[in-house]
Amino acid sequence: MAEPAPPWAALVLPLALALVATALATADARSTGPGREVLRLLVQQRRITRAADVPLVRLATTLLPVAAVLAAAVLPLGFRPVSDLPDGIVWFNAMEALAWAAVWLAGWGPNSTLSLIGGYRFLAQGLAYELPHMLAITTAALGAQSLRVGAVADAQAGLWFAVWMPAAFGIYLLSALAMAFWGPFDQPVGRDTAGGAAAELSGVDRLVFLGGRRLLLVVAAAFSVPLFLGGGHGPLLPGWAWTLIKTAAVLGLLLWVRRRVPTVRTERYMELSWVVLTPLAVAQALVVAVVVLKK
Amino acid sequence: MDLRARLTRAALARPAVLLATSPGATRERLAVEAELGRRGWPSAAGPASADLLVFAGVPLPLRDDDWAERVWTAVPAPKARVTVTDAEHAAHTLDHGHRTLLTPAAHPAERHETATAAAPDHGPHDSQGSHGGMDHAHHGRPPGTVAGLPLAERAEDRDGLRLDRLHVPLGPALPDWPAGLVLRLELQGDVVRRAEVDPMPTPAASRPAFWSEPWLKALAGEPGTSGEAARRRCAAHLDSLGRFLGVAGWSDAATRARRARDRTLGDAHGEELRPLVHPLVRRVRKSRTLRWLTAGVGELPGGPVAGDAHSRLIGWLDGIEYALDAIGDRTPLADHPLIGPRGRVDDTEAPASRTLLAALPALLAGAEFACARLVVASLDPDLDELAARRAPDGRTHG
Repeated sequence: MAEPAPPWAALVLPLALALVATALATADARSTGPGREVLRLLVQQRRITRAADVPLVRLATTLLPVAAVLAAAVLPLGFRPVSDLPDGIVWFNAMEALAWAAVWLAGWGPNSTLSLIGGYRFLAQGLAYELPHMLAITTAALGAQSLRVGAVADAQAGLWFAVWMPAAFGIYLLSALAMAFWGPFDQPVGRDTAGGAAAELSGVDRLVFLGGRRLLLVVAAAFSVPLFLGGGHGPLLPGWAWTLIKTAAVLGLLLWVRRRVPTVRTERYMELSWVVLTPLAVAQALVVAVVVLKK
Repeated sequence: MDLRARLTRAALARPAVLLATSPGATRERLAVEAELGRRGWPSAAGPASADLLVFAGVPLPLRDDDWAERVWTAVPAPKARVTVTDAEHAAHTLDHGHRTLLTPAAHPAERHETATAAAPDHGPHDSQGSHGGMDHAHHGRPPGTVAGLPLAERAEDRDGLRLDRLHVPLGPALPDWPAGLVLRLELQGDVVRRAEVDPMPTPAASRPAFWSEPWLKALAGEPGTSGEAARRRCAAHLDSLGRFLGVAGWSDAATRARRARDRTLGDAHGEELRPLVHPLVRRVRKSRTLRWLTAGVGELPGGPVAGDAHSRLIGWLDGIEYALDAIGDRTPLADHPLIGPRGRVDDTEAPASRTLLAALPALLAGAEFACARLVVASLDPDLDELAARRAPDGRTHG
């Protein structure tokens, strides 16, 4: 049974996430290191376009990292989350959906066509990934018969959910990329729209928005560990170490995918998502439900 | 050196560069891109994320629209801009821009300049962000204004819904975009309703268009081997490939294509190029995701570039491999039919890129923005070809 972490963990959590995100950015860096990039954006002037809705833009940029950190509150490091809510999976899903608002507002706020297109794209992408995504995390909850994240991890002391519900795991990884609009799902901030939803952000705004995106990616990847990869369970090493190792492995996989695959356009993914992935996720949930009932 | 200057120096050790190329300045663009690759300076997708604005070729205003000035005002301080007018001096000019960027004395003035510019006065065309605006002036009377900007009017979209119509000029300063191309788009959401091609006038050039240079020279009776022409063709297709992959969002492969292009132009032997080019070509050819994403986009029924975006891409890949094998060929080029990277090169017909431009409006109408960008990238018209040739004696023809 998971016991809640001490209160100071709430303060350490954002720092720990930022640390992992920085490590990821270092592994991903092609020319500029993350430290230098952060410095560059801090030195840069904040600028805003004409007739922009400034409060909306500020809200959008800050909402993204806040959503990521809040979603991470139910993430267990080893077996200890900051807060082990009885319906932690629902909480995670709700916080992650805040990103919809954040990206849409960031696209809408600057009163710029290209950033507006980025906003539209994320909404469409959300429609495409969210349904199979919710079915996938529901399947994990179903397998453990609990919405508590700690209980889901505990249910995998023997067999990982990724092994006996591979379709749900695969769909979850796809939607992790999509919710952080990163890698093959980076169309909302695509280069073809000169940066899309982030096209008009500069300086601190850009840093907070794109930093928030990285946090969201780390949180989404890390959440696959208690959901599908057995949480902190593993031989020899302590639970927190297993969590870190598994998270790093998932992030490494996502990094590899990003290098190998071009950007998936929403309208094509929508088709795949609704015609193939959603029925697949339903079938997976059905199989799991039957197995659980027979136990 | 005070702390502030030291911080700025560290922050801007590798400035993000926004490169805006004018028509006729392919040589300068290639020199700048190669130099940026060598230095590891990142390339910015738009003015908001740039520190250093580099113009390849002198940016001429388009009618009364000084787009270069608009892009410059949209770059946040600290910033610097330079114009590369000679490919040989690209490195030197970049150094100069970097020095200006790091000079602390330059910053207060720059800050002041952008502070005023970022407020109301963007000029008539920049009502919508930094890449050009919703230009309603000549499309009926707007129903109202916000902050001096007209509101969008509405019209039925493809599904019969009444949606805002945005008039957006696309180009000339976009990443992975044909130099000098401007499209006047009418957008509803991210769907293109109508597109007009409005190319920038290409200044008369004293040198032949870079990508068709070997064939133009052969046409003029100058000696040249097919090997040289094959090298140019290989690089031209790699350049198109890099841009297409950039637009398709495959930055890793796009970077490889650019690197291979620079090596090809840098006189590397065919044997040296093969390990760079073949794995890339194989990977792009075999990518099922890319096929899934680009098949059926921008389909043309006939003509020299018939097929969809994916088949044009495969055409480049074939061209690259074929040209790579012919790099060592010493036979005179004049013995072969004069077919350049984009089509037949001769005096009588219009240049091939004019046909490519003419195909654009019909292909773009009804396409989504991302598909529209793919269509443009898959045709990759070279506006340098449209330039009138200025003969050394001062006459123009072409």
